[in-house]
Amino acid sequence: MTDRPALDATPLHAKHYADGAAFVSAPIVENVRLARDTYRLRFEAPAIAATITPGQFVMVRLAGIDDPLLGRAFALYDVSDDRAAVDVVYLAHGKLTTALASRQPGDRVEVWGPLGNGFDGDEREIDALLLVAGGIGYTPFLACGAEALGLKEYGLVGGVSDADDASPPQKTTRPRLAAKSVTFCYGVRTLDYLAGADAFRAAGIDLRIASNDGSVGHHGLVTDLLTQALEESSDRRRRVLCCGPEPMMEAVAEICLAEQVRCDVSLETPMACGLGICFSCVAKVKQPDGEWDYKRTCVDGPIFDASQIEW
Amino acid sequence: MPHGPEAPSPTAPTDVDLSVTLGRLQLPNPVLVASGTFGYARELASLVDLSRLGGILPKTVTATPRQGNAPWRTVETTGGMLNAIGLDNDGVDAFIECHVPYLASVGCPIIASVAGKTREEFVELVRRFDAVDAAHRPAAIELNVSCPNVSGGVDFGSDPALCEAVVRDCVAASDLPIIAKLTPNVTSIATMAKAAEAGGADALSLINTVLGMAIDWRKRRPLLANVVGGLSGPAIKPIALRCVWQASQAVRAPIIGVGGIANINDAMEFLVAGASAVQLGTVNFYHPTASMEVLDALPAALAEIGATSVSAIVGSLNH
Ligand SMILES: Cc1cc2nc3c(=O)[nH]c(=O)nc-3n(C[C@H](O)[C@H](O)[C@H](O)COP(=O)(O)OP(=O)(O)OC[C@H]3O[C@@H](n4cnc5c(N)ncnc54)[C@H](O)[C@@H]3O)c2cc1C
Ligand SMILES: Cc1cc2nc3c(=O)[nH]c(=O)nc-3n(C[C@H](O)[C@H](O)[C@H](O)COP(=O)(O)O)c2cc1C
Ligand code: FES
Repeated sequence: MTDRPALDATPLHAKHYADGAAFVSAPIVENVRLARDTYRLRFEAPAIAATITPGQFVMVRLAGIDDPLLGRAFALYDVSDDRAAVDVVYLAHGKLTTALASRQPGDRVEVWGPLGNGFDGDEREIDALLLVAGGIGYTPFLACGAEALGLKEYGLVGGVSDADDASPPQKTTRPRLAAKSVTFCYGVRTLDYLAGADAFRAAGIDLRIASNDGSVGHHGLVTDLLTQALEESSDRRRRVLCCGPEPMMEAVAEICLAEQVRCDVSLETPMACGLGICFSCVAKVKQPDGEWDYKRTCVDGPIFDASQIEW
Repeated sequence: MPHGPEAPSPTAPTDVDLSVTLGRLQLPNPVLVASGTFGYARELASLVDLSRLGGILPKTVTATPRQGNAPWRTVETTGGMLNAIGLDNDGVDAFIECHVPYLASVGCPIIASVAGKTREEFVELVRRFDAVDAAHRPAAIELNVSCPNVSGGVDFGSDPALCEAVVRDCVAASDLPIIAKLTPNVTSIATMAKAAEAGGADALSLINTVLGMAIDWRKRRPLLANVVGGLSGPAIKPIALRCVWQASQAVRAPIIGVGGIANINDAMEFLVAGASAVQLGTVNFYHPTASMEVLDALPAALAEIGATSVSAIVGSLNH
């Protein structure tokens, strides 16, 4: 497949075709409960583990059955230390995720990825990275925080293990997220839905929690936490990354616009393929001419500059 | 296909002729991918060896850009999915400028899919492709006279006289082979197949999606913004097989089977039922390498029933 015209640069083409993606049948390594209805799935897929970066996602499907038929998108949660397996965290509430919760290690899932653009790295280290999530939207942020603080690298090309000293891992050209400090404003319904708090704290991330009922952390909205974090860091170079229910992302986008802080959102539009071939996953994205156009979230996102979204 | 030094037995898989003829259209093998389920092919370049496909049908293009329907555009149902994408596309000019050069470079036959609101618009679309330079011209054109999501679109698919007329106009407007893609949402598929054949279609593609709907009873709302949509996937395979079989009894024009084909067994069933080739649709969404797997398995499947060519089993159903 050589000598293809270099057309990808034209505006009608999407920005992030699944050129690095693999389609694999992957054995489940772990499927453990983290919180109420919340599970972490680890599946073995070295080809994906080697290249996936924070904010990218994979499609997961239950192998060998036609119901549910389609895959579901799951954000990268983490990559195992031996870089052979990928972790995703899911909320068991619908057709596929409820069935997935009863799968055992050794059972197989079909997985394709890495997909989507992922979060842009920082050309220059920023002072304060502010992460904002609602509910299961928290899943992309452990890897973001770990990368930004220099604890972990993602996206090594070639699947080379770190133990293999003879051939040092080849780095991708993507700049890393890089920040002096990471604050995570995490909104949950109630205490029993709070997942991953220990992992975030262990990574050195400043975790701030809000809950709807006051059962944990601030009794109120996660946007209250963001406003406070923005006040505290007003004299520093900041950047906000956000994922969660759409009304929450819209509110965060508004706050950031008012504060003139760059904000990227990870959209969770329903997807059928994750590859750009079904046109299910469209979101209204502002165009240079001021109008909006439907863009495929899977190949033009899922990460968008919040100011470009027509909510 | 590589031939080993030892002479294979008569029905060894390597000896099988996979080529198919659909009217004026010759294809290297019968495994195609369906319009609207394969994007513009570029999307799958890293997962599928595009050059091996029997043909690619890129997403249907219209005369002018269409934004498509509001989300939700698709919803999963038991063993299938409903879609109401609404022919989201950037229009024929952008398609020819932006996607055709890439498509022409992949090395397999490209069959452009077009949908017009009127007879004149269909003809105009066909002429646009006819006028493309030889290096970029598609191998054929499929007339999407069956899209359930576009008002007006479905009339050509359900009114035999209109269907025959639009096919005839398009055949006359171009030297390119013309395929008519029909909808199952009619009382008699045989009548529609005869109409398309009478119009001079080189081949018929059967079927487009089956009209359906899904609702959330708690909210008392439809799940698709468009309320109704087209059902596809394994759930519709029996309907598609029935349509292919009934149409093949009614016409001599070659038929391309579409609907719920996900693996080699499905593909073989369609060939035996009377299809000369098949298109894989929804399966591309959930098993993007399916077309390659069907193609890999085809020689052995033909050999298993003693056939040395695809054409030998087309319409070979015993009944
Ligand atoms: C880029 C991206 C990343 C994502 N990351 C994650 C992640 O990290 N973790 C995670 O848990 N999820 C994530 N999601 C969401 C995930 O892809 C699934 O949508 C989600 O897990 C639900 O799948 P399901 O099969 O369990 O539910 P489904 O059965 O598909 O239902 C999902 C929801 O759709 C509605 N619905 C569907 N069918 C009906 C019906 N017949 N009647 C009424 N309502 C209906 C309901 O509201 C239901 O709760 C992500 C999505 C995207 C696009
Ligand atoms: C999301 C989606 C979009 C489609 N878009 C088109 C289209 O643009 N033009 C067309 O002729 N058929 C379109 N189809 C119909 C398919 O080409 C095919 O006829 C149908 O889905 C049945 O085959 P399947 O069950 O293998 O998917 C679409 C189908 C789906 C699921
Ligand atoms: S999910 Fe299919 S195009 Fe985005």
